[in-house]
Amino acid sequence: MRFLHRERPADPGAGDVEALIDVEGVSTSFGDNVVLDGIDMTVGRGEIFVIIGPSGCGKTTLLRHMSGMLPPSSGVVRIGGESLYDLPEEELDSIRRRMGFSFQHGALLNSMSVIENVALPLAEAAPHLSRDLIDEVAQMKLEMVGLLDAKDRAPSDLSGGMKKRAAIARAIALDPELVFFDEPSAGLDPITAAAVDNLILKLARIFGITMVVVTHDIASAFTIGDRMALLFDGRVFAHGRPEDVQQHPDARVQDFIHRALPRDEARGVDITDYLAKGALR
Amino acid sequence: MTPVTIEIPERFDRDTVQPIADRLDAAVARGHAAVRIDLSAVREFDSTAMALIVAALRDAKRTGTTVELEGISEPVLDYFSLVSVRHLIEERKPDRQLGFVERVGRGVMPTLHVARDSAVLFARAVRSLVLGPWTGERFRVSRTVAEVSEAGSSAMPIVSLIAFLLGLILAMQAWLQLRIFAAELFVADMVAVSVTREIGPLMTAILVAARSGSAIAAQIGTMVINEEVDALEQMGIKPVAWLVVPKMVALALATPCLTVLFDAVAMTGGMLFGVSVVEINPGAYLERTQESLKLADLASGLFKASVFGTLIASIGCALGLNVEGGPEGVGRATTRAVVASIFAIIVFDAIFVIVLRVGS
Ligand SMILES: Nc1ncnc2c1ncn2[C@@H]1O[C@H](COP(=O)(O)OP(=O)(O)OP(=O)(O)O)[C@@H](O)[C@H]1O
Ligand SMILES: [Mg+2]
Repeated sequence: MRFLHRERPADPGAGDVEALIDVEGVSTSFGDNVVLDGIDMTVGRGEIFVIIGPSGCGKTTLLRHMSGMLPPSSGVVRIGGESLYDLPEEELDSIRRRMGFSFQHGALLNSMSVIENVALPLAEAAPHLSRDLIDEVAQMKLEMVGLLDAKDRAPSDLSGGMKKRAAIARAIALDPELVFFDEPSAGLDPITAAAVDNLILKLARIFGITMVVVTHDIASAFTIGDRMALLFDGRVFAHGRPEDVQQHPDARVQDFIHRALPRDEARGVDITDYLAKGALR
Repeated sequence: MTPVTIEIPERFDRDTVQPIADRLDAAVARGHAAVRIDLSAVREFDSTAMALIVAALRDAKRTGTTVELEGISEPVLDYFSLVSVRHLIEERKPDRQLGFVERVGRGVMPTLHVARDSAVLFARAVRSLVLGPWTGERFRVSRTVAEVSEAGSSAMPIVSLIAFLLGLILAMQAWLQLRIFAAELFVADMVAVSVTREIGPLMTAILVAARSGSAIAAQIGTMVINEEVDALEQMGIKPVAWLVVPKMVALALATPCLTVLFDAVAMTGGMLFGVSVVEINPGAYLERTQESLKLADLASGLFKASVFGTLIASIGCALGLNVEGGPEGVGRATTRAVVASIFAIIVFDAIFVIVLRVGS
């Protein structure tokens, strides 16, 4: 549970580490809308695993499956070898307490101040601690994300980026072994975004925390990722070490990581096509 | 004086930290000139343990004790590299306590603010409505119709039910008194007069406040925190003309209409009681009712209802537009809209009773 004995693998991403999360054949649809279609991926212990992909391709949904929030329509999610959704509720809860989740839009409790939000998980998990000590821990987490001076504000009085950082502080409140970040740096300025990347790297290096990070930021994905998966249309398109993904032969992967528009959209409608097909006649 | 040494055991984490915390507290509080914390045995460490050390440093700074950390291992040092301890233990001003006058002021101010904001909004809505043709703030007929149906038509079942029951109750109360004087027939008068003058508009308005006043505050408040109102303004659509005027006009029209319904159903309820329990001849009951109904009473009741509707819309819109503090604020605005509306209705009714009686 604690860190000192928890070492970050010497070569994270090499694939020879023990698997912490195993996603096998996960498919999910909401009504007729097939969001995930047979996802297979493995997250190794101690690595930073990055999920990238276009908006609406099911990244958040996949994170919700992996973190025990939402069972998939079919398929299995294993954490430490245990099939997450076959566990009794109490065991699932105890696994949940060892994970942190930083939500895409913060999901801070609005009726509490920032520091109360961050203190809440610890106050619930360790009621024997004195209030002062719990507050001290919360302040420390806020200091880590550079939000100490805003600790007594209400979440509604924070900017979008501050909410996000408060959410990260809350996600690491219990010294989790595994943290999910849903777009931790979207909406942040480049400097704060780099600071968030840096924090993620440090937390991984110092505590050996396993991280699953969803991001739109290609540069950040390649900076922090030990391994990554590119999602397209509910499928895993490229999966592996950053350099493998970078050299992936598929044109769509190349377009995505080089921020190019897909060919047909970039060109717009070519009227000669229609003329040739006689559509305008 | 030799420093006190506190040896930290191998496991120093949130499950084992409390006894160590007590020992540290005692050492620092006793005012030892120097406290030495020996961390060389530590194998397991977490942020709660780290927070304890930070707390000890903070206390030591206050009491003038020197704290030495000894035997810090590389990983523990790493942990400290994530924060600036100096920034953490800086003195921060505690939140200021409010004085008595301020606290009383905070209690009264909101009421005055609501009154002022609603009045200002009402004035702006009237201006938008009257000057609309010149300023380009079009009156939105279809939005108003939709509001009327939302606030009016869908309230008809509940208004009818309550009116019917109140009619029965009123007739019974009247009968219990009147039969002492063997004047049972006047039950019809009592019901007709009290309903049209007072109870009809008042009860209807209270129902409208509960149903529509809260809905208006919640809807507009949600729009405000989602920046939808800013978006409207940015697109050149005046929120007052688009949101407030339709709701105000709708309630000013729908409340009197609902009052007519209330009056009619309540009198029917009264008559049902009169005919079945008191055994008044239906023809006689209707005749008494007709005799006692005055157009002036009915009209003044409907006028009051229209004013109440306008009040409810003004207050609901004003509270919605001034929402602060996210979703929590929307909840507060919704409750306050109902309470403030009912308060305003009663105050205005009291004014009307005085003015209208003086006038008659
Ligand atoms: N609870 C739900 N009910 C119905 N449809 C849903 C639900 N949650 C997600 N979806 C749909 O699933 C798809 C994927 O959603 P998801 O939030 O996982 O996307 P995403 O990859 O995180 O997108 P973004 O990068 O924009 O956050 C979308 O089409 C969305 O409309
Ligand atoms: Mg998402």
